[in-house]
Amino acid sequence: MSASDDQSDVGRVLAGDISAFEGIVRRWQGPLINLAYRFCHDRGRAEEMAQEAFIRAYRALAQWRKDAVFSTWLFALATNLYRSELRRIPASTVPLEDVPEPRDARPSDGGLEDHDRDVTVRRAVGALPAKYREALILFYFHDMDVSTAARSLGLPEGTVKARLSRGREILRSKLPQLLAVPRLKEA
Amino acid sequence: MTRLIKSEDDEMNRILSRKEEILPSSGFAASVMDAVRREAAAPPPIPFPWKRALPVLVAGGFVLVMVFVTLVVAIVQVIKSSATAQFSTSLPSMLAPIFGLQGLQGLQRNLVGAAGWSVLALLVAFISVKLSMRLAASRV
Repeated sequence: MSASDDQSDVGRVLAGDISAFEGIVRRWQGPLINLAYRFCHDRGRAEEMAQEAFIRAYRALAQWRKDAVFSTWLFALATNLYRSELRRIPASTVPLEDVPEPRDARPSDGGLEDHDRDVTVRRAVGALPAKYREALILFYFHDMDVSTAARSLGLPEGTVKARLSRGREILRSKLPQLLAVPRLKEA
Repeated sequence: MTRLIKSEDDEMNRILSRKEEILPSSGFAASVMDAVRREAAAPPPIPFPWKRALPVLVAGGFVLVMVFVTLVVAIVQVIKSSATAQFSTSLPSMLAPIFGLQGLQGLQRNLVGAAGWSVLALLVAFISVKLSMRLAASRV
């Protein structure tokens, strides 16, 4: 995905060639749908939210200042939309207190089945208060890059770091057994 | 302890970094482009008629200020009259008719009643504006 492709497509769209927007959609549909999916865990809803994000991007295309990379602007716009959509109609999540611990943290092979553990941790992330959940989602979506996550959320890096730390702290306190498994394995 | 937290964080990073990629459905791009074309074909949104609304808003603001000023004046008068009434009641009762004590008390009652109604009306107006704004914001 090249930034110059985005720039040239935006230029063409702003000049009146609507079909050039398809290039932008094709390049960014995967990331935008996947980001939406991380927020709502519902494939259909993720596509609806991503479609709305593209339409809003089309409407606001002239507001993109070229000093920022197009993808940064697009992700910030999409993140903002997803957050407000989720505030309007929250995704169905289990309360943090009700996130089930895995049946046995140490099955016969001494480790927890990866899938069970992944599902439990993801559910626990989904049940976090919105500000910690959003910071964690964006941080891991952007390959653990705090500054990109902060730009997408429109927050200072320090705030995102603090929210990540607090979010992790809550997860550690709720899932101690689960996250301690590798140490038990090593022991 | 720090090592323990570090190892837990590493484990969390490992789990949450694992991508669960979903692929866009085949017609997604086409559906977005249809929506974009509809958007482009739609007439531009009608701008808010500031020229027409401004005089009304100014008049409304003026009325609001007038109501506020009247309310303040009424409250000040009530306070003054109650002070006068207290002074009057401290005088011998034979002087009361000269100062019109009953008249003052009547005026005080009327003013208190009017101020109460004004405050109530302002409160109702404020709540209804707030509620309608919240309702409109939630539907956008």
